[in-house]
Amino acid sequence: MKSIVKLTGVTKNYGQDEVIVKALRGVDLDIEPGEFTAMAGPSGSGKSTLLNIIGGLDRPTSGEVQVEERPINTLSRTKLSRLRRDRIGFIFQSYNLIPVLTAMENAEYVLMLQGVPIKTRREKVMEILKEVGLEDLENRFPRELSGGQQQRVAIARAIASEPALVLADEPTANVDSKTASGLLDLMAALNRDKGVTFLFSTHDHKVMERASKLLWLRDGRISYSGPPIKDLEGL
Amino acid sequence: MIVRLAWRSIWRNRRRTIITTISIGFGLAFALFFISFADGVYVQMINDGVRVQAGHVTIEHRDYRDAPAVDLYLAQSTPIRERIAKLPDVESTKLMLLGQGVAKTGLGTVGVAVIGVEPSSEARTSPLVKQIIDGRYLMDEDDALVVVGEKLAARLKLKVGKKLVLTTNDANGALTEELCRVAGIFKTGVDEIDGYLMQAPLSFLRRLYKLPPDGATQLGVVLKKPEAQKRVMSQIKPMLKDTPAAVYPWQEILPELASYVKLDKGSNVIFQAILMFLIFFTIFNTILMSILERQKEFAVLLAVGTRPSSLRGQILLESFFLGLIGTCLGLLVGGLASYALQVYGLDITKFYGEGVSISGFAISPIVHARLTPGLVLTVGGLVLAVTIILSLIPMRRATNISIADTLR
Repeated sequence: MKSIVKLTGVTKNYGQDEVIVKALRGVDLDIEPGEFTAMAGPSGSGKSTLLNIIGGLDRPTSGEVQVEERPINTLSRTKLSRLRRDRIGFIFQSYNLIPVLTAMENAEYVLMLQGVPIKTRREKVMEILKEVGLEDLENRFPRELSGGQQQRVAIARAIASEPALVLADEPTANVDSKTASGLLDLMAALNRDKGVTFLFSTHDHKVMERASKLLWLRDGRISYSGPPIKDLEGL
Repeated sequence: MIVRLAWRSIWRNRRRTIITTISIGFGLAFALFFISFADGVYVQMINDGVRVQAGHVTIEHRDYRDAPAVDLYLAQSTPIRERIAKLPDVESTKLMLLGQGVAKTGLGTVGVAVIGVEPSSEARTSPLVKQIIDGRYLMDEDDALVVVGEKLAARLKLKVGKKLVLTTNDANGALTEELCRVAGIFKTGVDEIDGYLMQAPLSFLRRLYKLPPDGATQLGVVLKKPEAQKRVMSQIKPMLKDTPAAVYPWQEILPELASYVKLDKGSNVIFQAILMFLIFFTIFNTILMSILERQKEFAVLLAVGTRPSSLRGQILLESFFLGLIGTCLGLLVGGLASYALQVYGLDITKFYGEGVSISGFAISPIVHARLTPGLVLTVGGLVLAVTIILSLIPMRRATNISIADTLR
């Protein structure tokens, strides 16, 4: 099966001259379509850096990154924008919705960027908002929604354009455990029913257990890649 | 949606947007009011000056400027005058005779400047006619009658109907004098004019100075629009070929007034530039602040696939909205204030007392603003354009951010 994400020898250094922080130290990774992958590890192990590089938000210092078998290291800013718009969905820890747009407008934003006609995108987004449990809340602004509801809008925004891959940076970190469980159910259902590939970072053991694959990062390297395990000691 | 996003974004910080648009609006309103007022004063000064003197364009003997004397007169003015009067830009023409002399009464002797005028044409154009405070202005059928300034009348103890003797040298250099009576007394409020000047019918002064029937020292041309000055001068020049006459703009005939207007306009430009700088600095500051505090939002927009050029478009649109609201507000407030001043005028005697003059030229006590569509479009367009231009620097900064670093 073709990889949806393939990383070969990816390194990422921050800083200059004598003060260099090595965030990633040669990461090799393959993610196949339909996977529901959790990425975990101690703070500073490089989870967010890895997500940013896969999503084209940051560039690696060395190594190659391919998304859908297409190298993205050398893409221009505009081409990277297009890749993110059409093939990758993002879910952020702190939701990052546009405060002046309603739930509906936030969710349809990427479709608008893609030039989807307003009627089509409204119908589609209404359907997605219903799926994520936000029907009747489409005209509310983010400030009028709870944290869990805002994250559901963020999920709707991420999947509205039917991307090949959704990257989520600790999507349940800012919500209570019940809401977190609900969000996870939602992402799992989208993965199962719609085949959306998810790669998300997390610190939460319960979240890791729900994944089909677990990546454990330590000191900028993947020290474990396989099915979720309970005993993370020594990884 | 980009338009909606930009519009809602500027109202997210409502107070800042209101303060900014009011700053733009009132700055622009003040600039518009001040410029239109200054323009109005200049136009009025020039208009009053050229109408009392020898028009927007003056024809004189070509040597008269070097040594002003009545012997350097225009001998056959009538044919040229008739041709000039037919030019489409010409409102009226006037013949004048400028002379010096001594006015004597039994109670005193005073050196005077005397202007010979055609009463009916002068009455149509000169503001002096409206400044008669006693008696009446001259009429075409008058002969040995004069109007004198209030201070000159006081020094010679003259009243309407009283006699004086005007003594001078005629065009041949011979001493000559005529007895005349006071028809009216005028008051401009300017000492140099009220204490020194008298006007008499041109025909009477021709006789006094021994000039031919259509002789005059100046042929003045009053224009419908001052802007036509160069065009009219170029049309007149060929008419004066093979004559000793030459054509001059009012700026050469009234150099003090021209210098004053030029100097004052220069200082106004500096004042206006400072005002504009303050307005633009406020705009720049607001846009910059607005963008700096929304870096994370821009990073999210870029992360989800917004092209940098689209984001730049959104920021430009926000600046355009801010500028447009401020400009509309400014044009409305400034336009209404200027229009009111244009229609009703401002009595500056309340601030400066009577007899406001510049370089010896009396200004009408009621000054009017001059609000033109060109001025409104220029000032409004400038503020709007600069607002958009000022957003380019913050805009560039917003779209060049590192998405990963900003979201971290």
